[in-house]
Amino acid sequence: MVHFAFLDWFWLVTFILLMIGSGALFYRLGKRSEADFFLAGRGLPWWLPASSVYATHTATDTPMWVAGVVYKHGLAGLWYGFFAAWCAVSAFVSTKIFRRSLAYSQAEWQTLRYGGMPAELLRGWVAGWQVFLNMFILGWVGIAMGKVCHFLFGWPPWMGLTIFSTLCAVYVLAAGYWGVVMADFQQGIIAFIAIAFVSIWGMYAAGGPHAIVARLHEMGLSHMLNPFSFSGFTGGDFPVAWFITMLVIGILGGLGMATAIDWFPEAQRIQSARTVKDASWCIWAGQALVVTRNALWAAAILGFFVLYPDLTQVKDYEMAWFRLGFETLPVGMIGFFFAAIVAIHLSTISTHLNLGAVYITRDLYHHYINPKADERRLVWVGRVGTVILLVGSFIFGSIMENITEWLIFALWIMAAGVWLPGILQVMWWRFNGWGYLTAWIFNLVFSWLVVWVLPAFGVLPHLKDYQQFWLLMFLGAIVFIPVTLLTKAESMDKLVKFYVMSRPVGWWGPVRREAERRGLL
Amino acid sequence: MPFIRRQWTSREADEWTREDTITVIISPLIYVLLMIGTALSMLGMWYGFVILATGIVLMLVMIWIINPKLSSVSEGYEKKQKGYIEELERSVKWEE
Repeated sequence: MVHFAFLDWFWLVTFILLMIGSGALFYRLGKRSEADFFLAGRGLPWWLPASSVYATHTATDTPMWVAGVVYKHGLAGLWYGFFAAWCAVSAFVSTKIFRRSLAYSQAEWQTLRYGGMPAELLRGWVAGWQVFLNMFILGWVGIAMGKVCHFLFGWPPWMGLTIFSTLCAVYVLAAGYWGVVMADFQQGIIAFIAIAFVSIWGMYAAGGPHAIVARLHEMGLSHMLNPFSFSGFTGGDFPVAWFITMLVIGILGGLGMATAIDWFPEAQRIQSARTVKDASWCIWAGQALVVTRNALWAAAILGFFVLYPDLTQVKDYEMAWFRLGFETLPVGMIGFFFAAIVAIHLSTISTHLNLGAVYITRDLYHHYINPKADERRLVWVGRVGTVILLVGSFIFGSIMENITEWLIFALWIMAAGVWLPGILQVMWWRFNGWGYLTAWIFNLVFSWLVVWVLPAFGVLPHLKDYQQFWLLMFLGAIVFIPVTLLTKAESMDKLVKFYVMSRPVGWWGPVRREAERRGLL
Repeated sequence: MPFIRRQWTSREADEWTREDTITVIISPLIYVLLMIGTALSMLGMWYGFVILATGIVLMLVMIWIINPKLSSVSEGYEKKQKGYIEELERSVKWEE
């Protein structure tokens, strides 16, 4: 339990008022239209959505996760966060293509890239899946805050889950994405300062950088200082084969869309940028900050490691960064640190509340239920959607302990079997809606079989995660490629319109020639 | 023609060129250098500072290479954006 002095409470209350206040200040802008409530009117300079990318991907559970891998693997554990590399490529390839499509969401993009029934089926499926997934993530991140509050104040976990998510909902309901992005900007600054300050402070509490390095050498653990220390090519728990798989997923994934779970929040930031150039730089800079932040944490975690080298339980060492802060900071700064944790938490919660509401409003309500709805009604539907997500997150959060494995499974559904189709839909003109729909359906089936059913019956050994990725990718491809080739290509009118508007790269020769023949290029 | 071109028309900038290829190769490398360089610098290792500085220099080079092209792409596209948004709104309402 941590004791808060007056100054601690001062920091906390001031920060919360500042965050909610700055969000609520944009109430008038947020309520103007659907485009304002969900995309801030498509007029933001690059640094605002960039700060939102950074703040969103700095959640309460992120330092726990980084601590878990760095405590176990040393600096090589940093590669677990390097999936962010997809942004390094996407910023100059698929981000530009998506920004030019102007789609509010990845669900809407389906109906711009594909035509007819498969396009509508895909839009409905992606929208429904994303509503569910955003609720899930809100519950997951929310319960992490519940754990932190339990650790600090002894509160039951549901209190930390509900209090802070509800506070966050105040400005998301009032100002929509305007509130999200404005609050994210200051939350991002607060979070970065706090992460740098607490990490450096914690390292000096552990004796300073040179003492940490010297101690690791004395302990015979010099490999923890080597970012390229692997356990063999395929053997051990951190092999080179995993590293290569991660690089392939990250770097080649940047050529496509929806190739990473982060694509979905990033899609909203891309469309809120005022120009194509701003969209590119917001994605690039936001994730550059993320990988740099991970490095700050990693150095601090090594400091924690030399202080407490014998922890064997994940639940003990995943709290490393929080413990460094709460156990070493002086009275008066504890509140500053906790306020920063609240900032980290609210930035993630606000994004997923508003993002889930995009799919409910734009893709489900506006497109399918009430296409003639006026702007005022659409903003209100956005608010109702936000409340649905908030309540759903409380339910998921309260049962999260029992469904972590399901969450991991859900993330595989997102990643493995639809990774390659996510690239093909951007780079190959012949890939069609039936192919992409088939990839989603069969990925569900194959991942169920490969991850759960076949190993349970001894038909297939329990594979490592990177092996599962390659197997699921291969199994998916032997279904969706024949389906694509055996069904009709998208109509040339649809493809030409998409090509001229978005200018995709890759194998688009026949479409380009047709566009040139029609005098559109 | 210089190896790196910095003057573009929006039509030319829409095509994939050498500048794009160089950018997508060095961009992930910059992430690697920033990440590893920061971690090692925090631990006071001299080569960490070298790696970090290399990352920052490469980042500036990348901006120098690709920013003029991105500006031209944007300039050309934004002239047509209003019409595209109107089309998108018609499409969400099934009016196409």
